[in-house]
Amino acid sequence: MSLFDIIGPVMIGPSSSHTAGAAKIGFLAQSVLGKPFKKVHITLFNSFAETGLGHGTDKAIIGGILGFRMDDERIPRSFELAREQGIQIEFSCEKDSKKHPNEVCIEFYSEAEALLLTISGQSIGGGAAKIVEINGTPVWFGGMHDILIIQYKDVPGMVGFFGEVLGDHHINIAYLDISRDAVTEKALAVLKLDQYCPENVTDIIRKNIHILDVISIRRLSDQYSNT
Amino acid sequence: MTNIPIPNRIRIQNLHDVRMQMKKFDIQDLAEFFLLYESKNQEIEPAVLLSKMDYHLQVMQESIIKGLQKPNVTSSGLINGGADHMKQLLQHNQSLVGPLFSKVIMNTLAVSELNACMGRIVASPTAGSAGVLPGALLTITQHKQIPREKVVRSLFVAGGMGEMISLNASLSGASHGCQAENGSASAITAAALLYCMDQDFDCIESGSAFALKNLLGLVCDPVAGLVEVPCVKRNVIASVNAIACAEMALSGIRTVIPFDEVVKAMDLIGKDMPSSLRETSLGGLAVCPAAKMVSNQKRS
Ligand code: SF4
Repeated sequence: MSLFDIIGPVMIGPSSSHTAGAAKIGFLAQSVLGKPFKKVHITLFNSFAETGLGHGTDKAIIGGILGFRMDDERIPRSFELAREQGIQIEFSCEKDSKKHPNEVCIEFYSEAEALLLTISGQSIGGGAAKIVEINGTPVWFGGMHDILIIQYKDVPGMVGFFGEVLGDHHINIAYLDISRDAVTEKALAVLKLDQYCPENVTDIIRKNIHILDVISIRRLSDQYSNT
Repeated sequence: MTNIPIPNRIRIQNLHDVRMQMKKFDIQDLAEFFLLYESKNQEIEPAVLLSKMDYHLQVMQESIIKGLQKPNVTSSGLINGGADHMKQLLQHNQSLVGPLFSKVIMNTLAVSELNACMGRIVASPTAGSAGVLPGALLTITQHKQIPREKVVRSLFVAGGMGEMISLNASLSGASHGCQAENGSASAITAAALLYCMDQDFDCIESGSAFALKNLLGLVCDPVAGLVEVPCVKRNVIASVNAIACAEMALSGIRTVIPFDEVVKAMDLIGKDMPSSLRETSLGGLAVCPAAKMVSNQKRS
């Protein structure tokens, strides 16, 4: 642990798990989406559902979704600010003993009410958070690494393909998680990288006809740094 | 003494290790040691770390100012302008002990209430106990006119002591009760205060151990699950306790139980604590009739 986890983080109160971690989930979620949206439906689970509203968890998640960091003083006014941007917000609460005590599921919708992304995150204490599910596929990342998410048609050779493109650009893969959906025949790879994957490289990956989507996310320590 | 090169990583398990390593590498200053520890282990230059900590100190200062700007009232109404009341008391010269004591209480309340009202604070070690370090350390060091650089360095002492607690027990109320939050906050604040008063390792260890000992067993029982009652006033007991314990250590009183053993005791007490008293709001103050009324209102 860093000493700045003890004298820190700088955050909006009142609770590291219920506001700081919640804001971080929202932030990660919007960086995974990476495009405009018109509506969000947010489901709070368990402890988040019980005490979440009183702790400002709702405001923190919305703040994060608007791209605010966990120390952004606009978080308490996030509902208002979302409304000004024409974003519709829905909340529901659920109990599910199979889920983490502080879990949230966020659904993003387009103007035409089409579901763009379903993403779940957990606030795991001390302001840390993890994204645990994207469109029903289990994943596990928390902003410690630069991330590359690649969705592709499940045909042979795809991992070799994007592995090589990254290698050609001297981008090292620290971890690689792959899952696939037998019904849709789509696969999702979540790569934790040692350095950020820039746009010119994602463009090369995107050119492959079997690639459906590529999202590159910068590690949070860069965006979240307080200095 | 021969100069032993400092390795690329510094591994320590507890305060005893810190003492041994400081001897080994001939480091006299506890802040210097923890700065080096952080610098080596995170691979970041000390100067960068110092400026980052300076920023955290600045946020702490701002949180006192903001917490005193207007009466802090939470949406639940459980927190209703406590710091502002203290301000009035001070302005009317009605302090029981003296203005400095009242100021410590006022500033601690200011930050803790600001936290409850979704203001910007430095969790130290947690958001629920965020008032302690600024309330005690900043108020006293300002009064004593301690240079800012020294206060920044003392935050590395505080962070290091917190790390020792986190490695051997916990800093989370949900895991070990409020002793782990406000107890730890008090212990790390006492250490920082004594560092600012130029005290040696033994003195810092004793003051910090006193502070943690005094709050052992403190349960976590927030009313309606909100970080408001009893949290905000517990910040005050933790900051006042930090100052009292630093004062005792300053007088030369030394702890019988070493810091590491106090931390171990805190760990065992935390593990014996029923879950009803660990942030679940199923015991303690949270189930008093008056508390239940608040919880019911919140639901309806
Ligand atoms: S009572 Fe619990 S929630 Fe409140 S400050 Fe203490 S540990 Fe934190």
